[in-house]
Amino acid sequence: MSEELDILKRALKREKAARKQAEQILEGKSRELYDLTQELKQLNEQLEDGLTKKTSELQGVFDNLVDAYVLMDISGNVVKMNNSAKNLFGYDIDQEKLNIVTLIYKEDYQYAMTSFQELVTKGSFSDYQARVYTKDKGVRTVHINASLIRNKNNQPVAAQGIVRDITYELEQNRVFDEQKKQLSVIVENSSLGIALTQFGKILQTNKAFQNFLGYTKEELIQKEVKDISLKEEYALSSENMEKMNNGKIDHFSVNKRYVRSDGSNVWAKTNVAAVRNPDKTIKYQVALIEDITDQLESEKQRDLLVKNLEKMNLELSEYAHVVSHDLKSPLRSIYALVNWIKEDYSSAFDKTGLGHLSMIERTLEKMETLINDILSYSRAGNKENLESQQIDLNTLISDIKNVVLIPDNTEVYCKQKLPVINGDKTRIQQVFQNLIGNAVMYMDKEKGQIEIDYSDQNTHYQFKIKDNGPGIKEQYHTKIFKMFESVGNHKNSTGIGLAIVKKIVELYEGKIWLESSPEKGTTFYFTLKK
Amino acid sequence: MSLNFLLIEDDEIERLKFARVLQKNGYTHNLIEKENGEEALKFLESKEQLPDIIFLDLNMPKMNGLEFLKLLKSNSSLKYTPVVILSTSNNHNDLKESYEIGIAGYIVKPLKYDDYAHKIKCLVEYWSVNEFIKT
Repeated sequence: MSEELDILKRALKREKAARKQAEQILEGKSRELYDLTQELKQLNEQLEDGLTKKTSELQGVFDNLVDAYVLMDISGNVVKMNNSAKNLFGYDIDQEKLNIVTLIYKEDYQYAMTSFQELVTKGSFSDYQARVYTKDKGVRTVHINASLIRNKNNQPVAAQGIVRDITYELEQNRVFDEQKKQLSVIVENSSLGIALTQFGKILQTNKAFQNFLGYTKEELIQKEVKDISLKEEYALSSENMEKMNNGKIDHFSVNKRYVRSDGSNVWAKTNVAAVRNPDKTIKYQVALIEDITDQLESEKQRDLLVKNLEKMNLELSEYAHVVSHDLKSPLRSIYALVNWIKEDYSSAFDKTGLGHLSMIERTLEKMETLINDILSYSRAGNKENLESQQIDLNTLISDIKNVVLIPDNTEVYCKQKLPVINGDKTRIQQVFQNLIGNAVMYMDKEKGQIEIDYSDQNTHYQFKIKDNGPGIKEQYHTKIFKMFESVGNHKNSTGIGLAIVKKIVELYEGKIWLESSPEKGTTFYFTLKK
Repeated sequence: MSLNFLLIEDDEIERLKFARVLQKNGYTHNLIEKENGEEALKFLESKEQLPDIIFLDLNMPKMNGLEFLKLLKSNSSLKYTPVVILSTSNNHNDLKESYEIGIAGYIVKPLKYDDYAHKIKCLVEYWSVNEFIKT
């Protein structure tokens, strides 16, 4: 019995020990499990955190994407669009439903459907470019990359597309192309020869350039600038090129000769301008050449003509001077002789005889006036002795009033203070003196009035000399300015005075004209360049 | 005091005019007449009779007035003799050139004889009261 008990006791003890051990193991395991659970919980929390963060990040990217983003279900209903998409299409799917078909531009419908097929079959398409309608019936051109979204079972559930508005870009390109086309039309049809060069090599030429040198476009591309330049002149151009390369000048102009395909030389004015890179180094040179062979020839002829004309003018003026002197001397002699006859032999003449002698004297005087007038006419237009000084016209007029004999019943006055002008005093005085002198000389009214006035006309002064004299018939209005065309019948009139006036006025790039009627008298107008 | 005048003038009537003014006014000055510059120069170089004052016409054949004037002014012993131009020309260039070379006066001959006589009279009266360098 006790043996049995012992056995039982031992068994119990063993069992206890085993249980303890098992308990210990269990306890350890359960601690491990707890720790693991804790760890897992923490990790899970971290993950969740990360996910929320990522989602909000994504939302931000989505919203702020510059390109429009559109998500639609498989029947084309838009389920999501970002701000750019809302702005582009003008729809807001939070407010209203939108099916993608509404957006398709009528003419592009077929193309859209084909692309959609491609999306379905291939899962994506890219570089789709078509027009779309916006909500306010505007039309935009867009570029779309799209892809299909599938579920776990590989079934298509949605499609997403990134849409870029390229309307402005296309317009820019179109404008750019248009301008390029316009420019090339201008360049190609320009009568100036135009060449684009780089480091002395010819890159491009226009028709005029090719025709000018007698080469084809292709031949010229093979050439360098020095191939079509004269050796001795190339140095001059290359000196300028050097300066241009160093950034000292941006353009230069030379007259140089070119060697044509047939070996002949041709003169051309050449303008070279630099096209620079941002770092100021030369990218290209643009050369504009203009055939000046004819120009040089006509310049040569013109110079010769001008020289001849100058010589002739000088000769003519000298001629007038000499002739007038030679004519004047005999007049003096005759006058002296007549005078002596009168003095020494007066008793030998009766009244008629003495009268005739006086008539000789008067004729001589008239002839003297004539010669003087011709002389001043030839001097008036001679630019050689033209002086320029400040002339106070108020002083000038009062000087003239002293020179011209003005009868008491005639009044010469200025309506307003006259300006100070620049000019040759002798000539300007001649203009006023002749006009005032004429007005005084022909005055037929009891109370003669001669009024001087002016107005400032920017580049010119316009003067006005108005009288209340007899007036001039219209048929004579142009005739009176011609040499020897005196209309009046005055003894001192030679018919040159107004011709001189006209010549001087024209010397100062002015005009002269008149208004006249027998009742009101005559008003002479003339302009003088400032 | 009686002065020696040299009148260089190609025109006979002009010479007569000048002489007549002297004579009509009772001047006792001595008048030498030469027909052109060449003749006058020959006369001056001979030093036969040196004038106190020269009256010179500009337009003359052979040697004209200005040519004569230049030669005279470049002659060291003759250059002090005052020269008065008598001319029908009041041309600016003639006047300028004359004064540039060196003249003592420039008279423009008027058309009317009376005016001429008056001018010459003034001229003679003026020079009568002048001092001259005697060489």
